[in-house]
Amino acid sequence: MSSFENVLIENLPDISKISFKKIHKDYLKALLIYAFIMIMAFFVGAFFLIKYKLKEVIPEHVNYIYLGIFVFFTIFIWYLVVSFSKRKYAVREKDISYKRGVIIKTLTTIPFSRIQHVELDEAPILRIFKLASISVFTAGDSSDDLVLKGIKKDEALQIKEFISSKINE
Amino acid sequence: MSSNSDFTNFSRQSSKGIIVIYFGSLYKALKISWIFLFIFIRKFSQLTSDKLLYIFFAIIALLIFLLFRAYFIYKNFQFKIEGGYFILQRGVLKKTNTTIPFDRIQNINFKQNLIQQLINVYQVSIETAGSKKVEIAIKALSYKDAQALKNQLTQSIGFKNESLTEDLIKKKPLLTISFKELLKVSVTENHLQSLLLLAALVFSFFQQIEDILDGFGKKEILSNYIANEFNSLLHNILILTFLSVFLLILAMISSFVRVLFFHFNLTVFVKEQSLEINQGLLTKKSIILKKEKVQSITISTNPIKKMVGISFITFRQAVSGKVSQKKDKLIRIVGCKFDQIYQIKELLFDCKSVEKSELYKPNSYYKIIMYIRSFIGLFLLNSIVYLVFQDSYVLWLNTLFVPLILLLIRAKFNKAFYKFDKELLLIGNGRIETDLTYLSFFKVQNVKMRQTIFQERKKVIDLVLQTASGKVRIPCLELERAVKLYNYILFKTETSTKPWM
Repeated sequence: MSSFENVLIENLPDISKISFKKIHKDYLKALLIYAFIMIMAFFVGAFFLIKYKLKEVIPEHVNYIYLGIFVFFTIFIWYLVVSFSKRKYAVREKDISYKRGVIIKTLTTIPFSRIQHVELDEAPILRIFKLASISVFTAGDSSDDLVLKGIKKDEALQIKEFISSKINE
Repeated sequence: MSSNSDFTNFSRQSSKGIIVIYFGSLYKALKISWIFLFIFIRKFSQLTSDKLLYIFFAIIALLIFLLFRAYFIYKNFQFKIEGGYFILQRGVLKKTNTTIPFDRIQNINFKQNLIQQLINVYQVSIETAGSKKVEIAIKALSYKDAQALKNQLTQSIGFKNESLTEDLIKKKPLLTISFKELLKVSVTENHLQSLLLLAALVFSFFQQIEDILDGFGKKEILSNYIANEFNSLLHNILILTFLSVFLLILAMISSFVRVLFFHFNLTVFVKEQSLEINQGLLTKKSIILKKEKVQSITISTNPIKKMVGISFITFRQAVSGKVSQKKDKLIRIVGCKFDQIYQIKELLFDCKSVEKSELYKPNSYYKIIMYIRSFIGLFLLNSIVYLVFQDSYVLWLNTLFVPLILLLIRAKFNKAFYKFDKELLLIGNGRIETDLTYLSFFKVQNVKMRQTIFQERKKVIDLVLQTASGKVRIPCLELERAVKLYNYILFKTETSTKPWM
């Protein structure tokens, strides 16, 4: 243990003390638009299914089905909003960190020196809000690398440039 | 093929390569169509001679086609070395040109399958690491050429001539596993695991048959047959005991066969910066394991192996993107004695101080959550079983399961620990078996803390370290200690100048 205590005196940069930045509010709007489109599509589908098929088979349950769908989507939207507020990121001199999760909270940090490459994507609806996503890849399982969604494009470009310059150092 | 082993101009592999490619594709074709072949043989007598003739012609045409294909694949497969790059051209219809810089080459392995052993050629695989998977296999080279190619590829990277040369063969290997010792290894294997592997094999076999029968509309027959058999079995304890004994024997045989196939004639040589491992019965493999490519090692043993005094080491190398290839990156040496383990460990790490440093246990929350999880699981299983069989008799099995689960959880908790010093992390886990994983901090690719809301209340957290060869997990640390370790690992990886692979 002694060795570790030693290091502590050196005052390592502490991950729990840095201030994390929130994801841009516009991203929530984009998420809600996505959710709205999805819910509408689902409702239209469900509506026709109930009207032409289920109504004859189980007429007494139809209202419950609507209620069930409504409750489900309310929870879904609530989850979306809450989980959005939990997403935070921080870029330090030598690494990038990302926090997320409501029921299972995770915090991932990738040192720049281990990054293989960085990608910047703009999904259709995100583009309206001038938002972008940054994906960071390391040599490990690509499934577990870091994706920052919903950052203003200017800032995303800056971060990408910053990381790229650090990788090449 | 150039006889003087000069690779500066485009050269082909040995012309014996045609044979290797031919048999390779024949094997693949058989693998896809064996079930049809089976049906064909069953119905052989019912076929008219007309039809038979057609079928024979078709088969002969296929064989000739494959031969031509093999020839063209061979003809179009050319490689050379130029200015620090390995350049490969291949493809009959779709031409591919692959260029690999030397410093991307991770490993060069020799391999011999049955055919290659018979005609005395070596398969040289060039492994590269990176997010995109590029793996190259030159199917047939004479030993001399293979050696020359390897030397030329490895020389310029800086690890000088670490190849299997004649003087190495004379050198005494660190470890040779004789047939008798291999027998020992296989008897002490985890037979349950072998059985599961066998079951998976049989299951996929069964599914293949079912798929075919499905095509003939006979699916019902098979599943009815199995369902009937199963129902009558259920109440017959005698048959059940017989079955379990049979399964045990089956498991032992399958462990034995598995161990024999993979590890036959296992020899390990130690060089300054690498290990050379030769093993395999039908497919002989020769693997060079370079020290810096090893991401982590795990030393495992189980109670019986411990009694006999052996354990096995699993080396994890950097993995390239595809998950399916992962298995190849796990290199295993079985049947090591304790002093051999010690030598291998010393070669890779300076692990004395970490073994002496203070031992930390996971928080007792770890045990509690395991109990809760397995009892929820057991409860669900019970309800399902009860609903399916409508028979409370089956629930008596719980008297067997509950103590077993309790024991396993206790063992798992008792075996879980972690230790660390300035450079190394040592993690212990396992249930019946005991695994000790050694990992250098600077090999970590990214760090993650993971906490459920229940863990948050108890102020504990899981730490997940991602390396280039998979995850290493430390469960349920106290929050404060986890943050310290997190900071320290980041500090180590960010200040390290050593290459992680």
